[in-house]
Amino acid sequence: MTTIIDCMAVGKSFKGKSAVKDLSFQMKKGEVVALLGPNGAGKSTTIQMLLGLMEPSVGRVTISGQNPKLKAVRERIGVMLQEVRLLDTVTVKEILQLVRGYYPRPLSMEQLTRLTGLDESSLNTRTEKLSGGQKQRVSFALALAGNPDMLFLDEPTTGMDAIARKTFWKSIRELAERGTTIIFTTHYLDEVEVAATRVLMMNHGELIEDATPAMMKKKLGMQRISFLTDAVYRPETYQGLAATDIRIDGKKVTILTGNADHSLKILYALELEISEVTVNRGTLEEAYSQLTDSPEVS
Amino acid sequence: MKILWNECWLEALRVFRNRYFIFWSLIMPIVFYVFYTKVMVQDVGDPKLWEKHLLMSMAAFSVMGSSIMTLGLRLVQERNQGWTTYLKTTPVSGAVYFIAKMAGQTSVHIFTISVIFTSGGLINGISMPAIEWITAGMWILIGAIPFLALGGLIGTMKKSDTASGVSNLIYLALAVTGGMWMPMEFMPKLLQQVAQWIPSYQYAAGAWSIIRGEAPGLVGILVLIAYTVVFMILSIQRRRMQEAI
Ligand SMILES: Nc1ncnc2c1ncn2[C@@H]1O[C@H](COP(=O)(O)OP(=O)(O)OP(=O)(O)O)[C@@H](O)[C@H]1O
Ligand SMILES: [Mg+2]
Repeated sequence: MTTIIDCMAVGKSFKGKSAVKDLSFQMKKGEVVALLGPNGAGKSTTIQMLLGLMEPSVGRVTISGQNPKLKAVRERIGVMLQEVRLLDTVTVKEILQLVRGYYPRPLSMEQLTRLTGLDESSLNTRTEKLSGGQKQRVSFALALAGNPDMLFLDEPTTGMDAIARKTFWKSIRELAERGTTIIFTTHYLDEVEVAATRVLMMNHGELIEDATPAMMKKKLGMQRISFLTDAVYRPETYQGLAATDIRIDGKKVTILTGNADHSLKILYALELEISEVTVNRGTLEEAYSQLTDSPEVS
Repeated sequence: MKILWNECWLEALRVFRNRYFIFWSLIMPIVFYVFYTKVMVQDVGDPKLWEKHLLMSMAAFSVMGSSIMTLGLRLVQERNQGWTTYLKTTPVSGAVYFIAKMAGQTSVHIFTISVIFTSGGLINGISMPAIEWITAGMWILIGAIPFLALGGLIGTMKKSDTASGVSNLIYLALAVTGGMWMPMEFMPKLLQQVAQWIPSYQYAAGAWSIIRGEAPGLVGILVLIAYTVVFMILSIQRRRMQEAI
């Protein structure tokens, strides 16, 4: 498989403060990469450098071996930037037609509306009158307008409701099956599992993880056991559960653990008066807080 | 070419959807015109000539206004809304975008000039040789270039509030000092002396010459070209400075 995106020892600093440090990775054709990291990790900065919107302070980025600013490259990429960016005083249909006109082989209007779930009434609405989630759909439609081989999506689902999110990821999977190379950022772990074939994780501007979603999940996916109890047990009761964290909140007890199966076995062996036991996978936020809590390596 | 046409068409459509534009560039000049030729008629000698003269002033006032305000504000807003950034990720070039904006604006001007000429002509029954209507219209269209350049300069401003305040101020100041609302002879002596260095005066004066059967003066043309060059250099410089960050 050929390397499509090549990010070579890229760094960026703003007024002496570094936002991205010595970042190197390659993306192959058809890969779907989730770029993760807490707020301020440098994800958006990285995406903007990949797109040539921002000049790296050091290092170099190529797309298909070319400068990302070249017209030939731009004809093949689709982009959703973190803040929704639309032209005002035009209808959705007009803006889509305009942008489709920029590309040599645009996607048909029918395909665009199908993939983005835009209905006839939003097509005829002025962009400034759309809700946040609708704007996000239009922004997705703009990204797809040129029938791109590569998609760069910076927090694409922010502001979308559950239905919009579902349509969105369904379309992303369809595009991935067609061989579209995709890089997206998100703060939701379930979105990573749904779509990504590879996970990159950044913290403080550095790449700290390059793994498959399964590996990632194992490594970071703290599991959370919670249950209700009427009896007031002291925290020490749960000590043998190999938990990393125990929270007691009135009747509700939450236990964070790396191995829920093991912990549950011990929990039941204790024969406590507990009910409504549930096991959830930890969220990215928890993973991030683990990162930020861990001592910095310099 | 198709891109340019689409972009230009949409741009024109957007201008017409803007209520401020309709008010300031179409309704206001016509209302002024009616007011000064029907309601508050001043003693200016030949009334027929005055009606023609003022019609030219109003058309110039309108086109100058939408050049400075509409274009400048559009550019600031689109940059602040991030549309300009988004465009950089598409194959469309910055030059095409800019040219399309100008072309869209120019087609809007053709429309406003026609509307103002027609309504003025009907209101006061003005008759002029076709060639004079056309050359006056062309002059107002082409003579707007320095003001488009000024709009481009205003378009480099950071905040749209500042840009709108500044452009309003400049617009009204230019209209008054250019003698578009009142004949120059009624203005203070000092202003009359410096008038020929004011771009709005030279702009309107060109049209005033045409309806008197004369060609616009060479000095006027040179002044307008000089302003165009200055505004363009300033806005290119400001753009460079902003991109360097
Ligand atoms: N234009 C800029 N000028 C100065 N500093 C900036 C600029 N853009 C980003 N930064 C800084 O660079 C760092 C990385 O920002 P970036 O936007 O890339 O983070 P992110 O990972 O996308 O965060 P989020 O999840 O909040 O979107 C932050 O500390 C931010 O303050
Ligand atoms: Mg970001």
